[in-house]
Formats: sequence, C-alpha cells, structure tokens
Amino acid sequence: MSRRPFFRRQKSCPFSGPNAPKIDYKDVKLLSRFISERGKIVPRRITAVSSKKQRVLAQAIKRARNLALIPFLIK
Amino acid sequence: MPYYESVYIARPDISTAQVDALAENLTSIVGENGGAVTKNEYWGLKNLAYRIKKNRKGHYTMLNINAPAVAISELERNMRINEDVLRYMTVRVDELDENPSVMLTSRGPRDSRDRGRDRDRDGPRDGDRKSVADAEGNAPATETTAAEIVPEIVPEIVPEIVPEKATDAVPEAAAEGNEE
Repeated sequence: MSRRPFFRRQKSCPFSGPNAPKIDYKDVKLLSRFISERGKIVPRRITAVSSKKQRVLAQAIKRARNLALIPFLIK
Repeated sequence: MPYYESVYIARPDISTAQVDALAENLTSIVGENGGAVTKNEYWGLKNLAYRIKKNRKGHYTMLNINAPAVAISELERNMRINEDVLRYMTVRVDELDENPSVMLTSRGPRDSRDRGRDRDRDGPRDGDRKSVADAEGNAPATETTAAEIVPEIVPEIVPEIVPEKATDAVPEAAAEGNEE
C-alpha cells in the first residue's frame, strides 16, 4: 500500500445532499447495506451516516425486523 | 385526518382470494369509522426472515390509510382477533405515497444485487438464496446481471471500511460471522 499513513478520506453521510435515498423500512435493499453479516446495525463510525440519520435508520431497521423483512439474527 | 401506513402479514395457507377478502374486510372497518383507504398494495407471498408461528412464508399487504385514530384502534383490534393475520404494524406517516412502494418497483434488480454481494463475502446464506431464485425460475437471467452489478456496489461500501484504523474492525466483523 502506497497510501499515506493515518490519512483518512473525508467521509460524507450517504443520506445527506441532493438525490440522497429516503430511509424507508420497506426498502430492504437499502437497509441491508447498513446491517452486518450477523444482522446487527453497523455503527456509524464505519458507515459515516450522520447522527440524525442514524437514528432514523435504526428506527427503520427495527421496523423492518419486526415485519420479518430482515432477520434479527443471522446464524 | 392523520395518515397511516399499515402492513400486515397473513397466513401462507390461505388463498389469494381470501387475502383480497381480508383486505376488503379491513377496508370496510376503516370506512365505517370515518376513514378511507387510499391505496391497497399486495406484495405477494414472501419468505419471512424468521419463523412466525411456525410459518416460513406470508402474504404481505400494505394499506395506505387516511383516518381518525379511533379507526386505527378498531382496525388493529380486528387484526389482533383475526387468526389469519400473523403480524401487523401501523405507522403514522407525514404523507401518503401515491406511487407503488419500493417493494413493487425494484423487485427483480434487488434480488440479483443482493446475491452478488453475498457471493462476494461467501456468507452462509448464499446457498439458500440461490435455491429461492431457482424456485422462482429466474436463476439464469439474474446470474448474468449479478456479475455486472458487483463492481458497482463494492466501491460504495469498501472505501468506507478500508481506510487505516477501520481495518481493525473489519476482520473482527468477519470473524463474528464465522463463529458458528
């Protein structure tokens, strides 16, 4: 790797800005990008979601889980 | 009057006609209480992510409702009583979406995209995903599209994870998946 050490690319929230996707509990494809292989919600330090949107996202994921659209736990 | 979205899952062993009848029944309950159902969306017999009352599948239906709160409590009371309803969820929304929801619009592409990602990480679920596609009879068609779509989705996700410190977190997450 010829990358500079400790260099961190500026991240931006995937739900901010124009034509950002709308967070919806029905959108399984979108939500599945923000859950781990185990089915957990991925922390926002990894996904770069803003804290406001992370709260909305967590709510949507929990709703989708309740409707059995995404699993609570992947074994 | 406030707007609501109500999604419910019906038992898999009832017929499509009975699903329609159930939707009609619930619609009339809303109507009697001074509300209106503006959209009735049937998502089809879908696989559940986990078993509910020993069922692996269910008929999903979504109703868009513009009704007073009493109508919603009456609707939910009826869904609790009805044994054909495995689960329901009513959510208040700021506005009702006139167009078909994401469930109906991006059906095909979503499946192939998801499978492309799974293959990438060779998760344990790859196997049963594939068998689902075979059952639908569209495996060969989606197989080709999945290959095209993989490069599109990978750059979206990987660069967020890779840089420097975050690399520590990645093997951890991977190890977590392989525990069992």
